[in-house]
Amino acid sequence: MINNNPVVKTNKINEIGTGSSTMSLKIKNRIFQSAVLLWFAIFSLIIIYPIIWLGLSGLKSNADFFLNTWSLPEEWLWGNYQAAWDAGIGQFFLNSVFITVSSVVSVLLLGSMAAYGLSRFQFKGQNILLVIILSGLMLAPQVSLIPLYKLLQAIGLYNTYWALILPYVAFQLPFAIFLMRSYFLSIPKELEESAIIDGCNIWQVYWHIIVPMGKPIIASCALLTAMNVWNEFMFALVFVEDSALRTIPVGLMNLRSQLNTNFGIQLAGLAISALPMIIAYIIFQKQFVRGLSAGSVKG
Amino acid sequence: MRTKINVLFAVLLVFALVLTGCSSSSSTNEESGKVVLKFLHKWPQPEYAPYFEEVVKAFEKENPDIKIKMEAIADEPIKDKLRVILGGKEVPDIMFSWSGEFARKFVRANAALDLTPYLNEDTAWKNSFIPASLQPFTSNDKNYGIPLRFNGKFFVYNKKIFDKYQLQAPTTWDEFLQVLETLKKGGETPIILGNQSPWAAIHYLTGLNQKLVAQDVRMKDYNPKTGEFTDPGYVTAMHMLADLNKKGYFMKNVNSSSHDMGQQLFAAGKGAIFYVELEEFQTIENNMKGNWGFFPMPSIEDGKGSQSFITGAPDGFIVSSKTKHPKEAIKFLKFLTSQDNALKLVKQIGWPSPIDGATNPDTALKEVAEGVDYMKKAEGMAEWLDTDVHAKVADVYLSNIQLLLDGSKSPEEIIKEVQDVAKQVQSEVE
Amino acid sequence: MTKTFRSSRTAILFIMPALLFIMFFVFLPIVLNLYNSLFRWNSFEAGRVFVGLEYYGRLFKDPIFFTALKNNSLYAVISLVFQVGLGLIIAAVLEDKLIRRFQPFFRTVFFIPSVISIAVVGLLWQLLYNPEVGLVNGVLKAIGQSEWALSWLGDSKTAIYAVVAVSQWQYTGYMTMLFLLAMQKIPFEYYEASMIDGASKIKTFIYITLPQMKEMILVGTVITVIGAFKVFDEVYVMTNGGPGHSTEVLGTMLYRAAFRNDEMGYASTIGTIIFVITLTLSLIQLKIGKSGQEA
Repeated sequence: MINNNPVVKTNKINEIGTGSSTMSLKIKNRIFQSAVLLWFAIFSLIIIYPIIWLGLSGLKSNADFFLNTWSLPEEWLWGNYQAAWDAGIGQFFLNSVFITVSSVVSVLLLGSMAAYGLSRFQFKGQNILLVIILSGLMLAPQVSLIPLYKLLQAIGLYNTYWALILPYVAFQLPFAIFLMRSYFLSIPKELEESAIIDGCNIWQVYWHIIVPMGKPIIASCALLTAMNVWNEFMFALVFVEDSALRTIPVGLMNLRSQLNTNFGIQLAGLAISALPMIIAYIIFQKQFVRGLSAGSVKG
Repeated sequence: MRTKINVLFAVLLVFALVLTGCSSSSSTNEESGKVVLKFLHKWPQPEYAPYFEEVVKAFEKENPDIKIKMEAIADEPIKDKLRVILGGKEVPDIMFSWSGEFARKFVRANAALDLTPYLNEDTAWKNSFIPASLQPFTSNDKNYGIPLRFNGKFFVYNKKIFDKYQLQAPTTWDEFLQVLETLKKGGETPIILGNQSPWAAIHYLTGLNQKLVAQDVRMKDYNPKTGEFTDPGYVTAMHMLADLNKKGYFMKNVNSSSHDMGQQLFAAGKGAIFYVELEEFQTIENNMKGNWGFFPMPSIEDGKGSQSFITGAPDGFIVSSKTKHPKEAIKFLKFLTSQDNALKLVKQIGWPSPIDGATNPDTALKEVAEGVDYMKKAEGMAEWLDTDVHAKVADVYLSNIQLLLDGSKSPEEIIKEVQDVAKQVQSEVE
Repeated sequence: MTKTFRSSRTAILFIMPALLFIMFFVFLPIVLNLYNSLFRWNSFEAGRVFVGLEYYGRLFKDPIFFTALKNNSLYAVISLVFQVGLGLIIAAVLEDKLIRRFQPFFRTVFFIPSVISIAVVGLLWQLLYNPEVGLVNGVLKAIGQSEWALSWLGDSKTAIYAVVAVSQWQYTGYMTMLFLLAMQKIPFEYYEASMIDGASKIKTFIYITLPQMKEMILVGTVITVIGAFKVFDEVYVMTNGGPGHSTEVLGTMLYRAAFRNDEMGYASTIGTIIFVITLTLSLIQLKIGKSGQEA
């Protein structure tokens, strides 16, 4: 069942009333609504307040932070943010961006190719390959931590960007293939067939038909992969050593011990790291939801 | 649109290749004739890092054919990272290490270079060190490490608070307990302890173990090949520490406050006593501005160990046995520990230097100089418990000490675990 | 049809790169891990000593292992209740016509924590939980509940719950989003009948919404449970297994064995066990899911 509505609509459901007393129903509804809104408001507070507190605390001096944890900063030390950036956040940021983008692009390319191969063709052993690839979904990265650590050293990729990109791609592929394959299965065969009759080879069919048609699911995969890679911690901790190559999660941990005497700068550093993703999410919210929505197809 | 994506992809690919090229070439050791040394230390903090940057620059200026690639990883993460890094192919030529068993395990694994010949051929250099600072870096009478600092652990106290209750620095444990009781009765927080990273309480245990257990028994137990930990002194030590907490002499929530938070609290006058290393004296002075004094861990009357030991140890650097440039590495170490740089260390950062005479009242805080004197006069040093025993034994102590302090484990239970692990270790170490 | 054996070759060509990646970086390590667990070795020593299954024997007698297992299971159960259970309820409420116009706002807000990197979340909450200056105790004291102002991460009795709570804070909104999307796909016609019959909201939810969402619920459950056994990041950042070993999980145990206690063989053993557990759980859940679908 293809979802032709990638945009999330708020449906207007007409209430088919049963004709019961409208007065008490209205009151019940009001109570329900107020209760829920109160509940959600508290939740939202639990989410928003710590984040704001983070940003504000980043502006405090050490003593200020210790003694007046709750109030607004005595002095607005914008310098803390600058110091945090200089301490290396800028570099961590760039590293994270580079690694995420490279991983995502690779996953999309290789994943869509594999998804195409697994969804549009019939051949022997097809199911086995599918199972092999999908079982990758169930495996915990920790299991591979030490072997990969030694493996990457053996091939000489340890402590380079590839030390992270390659394993990330490998671990994100199963889920991406799973999603894309489900989606591709629902693309009508006629489109392909007419293209082949027109003389296209298989690569052209893939590139010019499947990929454009699969845009929604590819967008989903991009987003989900990006989120996972951006936040990945364990491999980033072990496979990369030079401070110049560190990604944000690991860089922040190091910053904590590096700046353990200055909480203000530390917190400013945390705020700088969290902010871009939050802002990006809020701005690209619609596309995000659209992408996720396209991804949750029954297949 | 498609072509745009293609182009973007191609650009990224090229970008990636270029960047990887850059990052991997930076890890090759030869750079057009220059010798590149990889140097790893554990002080990235903005208070300390500049010292190293300056020393490295000065060295490179004097030795234009040597380039130093420096990395700094802080105290807690370096404990993991050293192992990670040592497993790689690009082991640093010169890297930080604690002394004692911590360094010895690298020696046993043939990962550390034997420095004895280099020390012996330059006796001036060798003799510039306080002997007690070189000793913990030896194994089987061979030298494997060069100390950079020579730390001792002392109690610092807030003079104003002490004066308020007319207290003097205690010399015996009983006097100590009296002081603590007076403080507590007066409503002060007697001792500040930030044990979020458990090494803080382990440092207490280091001294207690040393004072309560006979030296030869303790050394036998700390040796992974013969460790048994059956002496009752170990249990007494833990009881004494737990008692300090039970009697309310420690501040609240020791396990959730970091040592640095402790510094802040002490600076804010929220506690009377704090157990710190000599290297922190400068910070204390900056915060307290003369309103402080210090004393070593008080003696324990029926302790079987020597009561004139000081808890402390040197820490410094080992050279990788796999280094391709041992001579240059030694050159750098000599430079780092030269008289000039030792004086610079003391003056600029206030650390106690292992170079004899470098830490004196002219160069350092008078308290630091006094502290170093204490150490020189002491019969011996009790090295940090978590670096002086096998990593697994240390792990048992470290993970249990927080439970000891919050009352959820008894000393008897803990020592049993220690004994079990010690037995395991015995059979594993060659 | 022009698609003959040639096309299957092309198909395989398309699949090959991804397959190779997965085989090399995901599967090969599992085999290597098994092999590694039979030796005593560490990262900086040259040689290895064959010990056979000794580490496995030791693992099953190790009390820390069982603490870790308990913690991972605790994680799984609590996450199921909150992320899946509460997530479903929140999604259902958000879909309710009375609340629906507020949906975009709340949906966005609830989702935000999941886009923040775990390092930030962990370090932030470490500060929030600080008994002296943290927000949690501050709020508790302000509403007059100071007896509850405990040392959350420093007390071995509360630490694991404090850590698990942070994960719920971070991911419940994510699950809510996934469930919302699944709910919105359910065609209106399904609800018409129940509307006419005057069924209550709760009944509608149980008998109509939930069954239509089966797949998404299954996916959510699998992710949550596997995630609970894979957990490493939040524990490492906030407590590193302490105090004592009260927050130890399989992941941190593995890391510590490898990179603190110099026992890579033991760590590999733990890794193999994690593999077995996650594989078994996945298979079980798939079975349950499949049988649900066939029914």
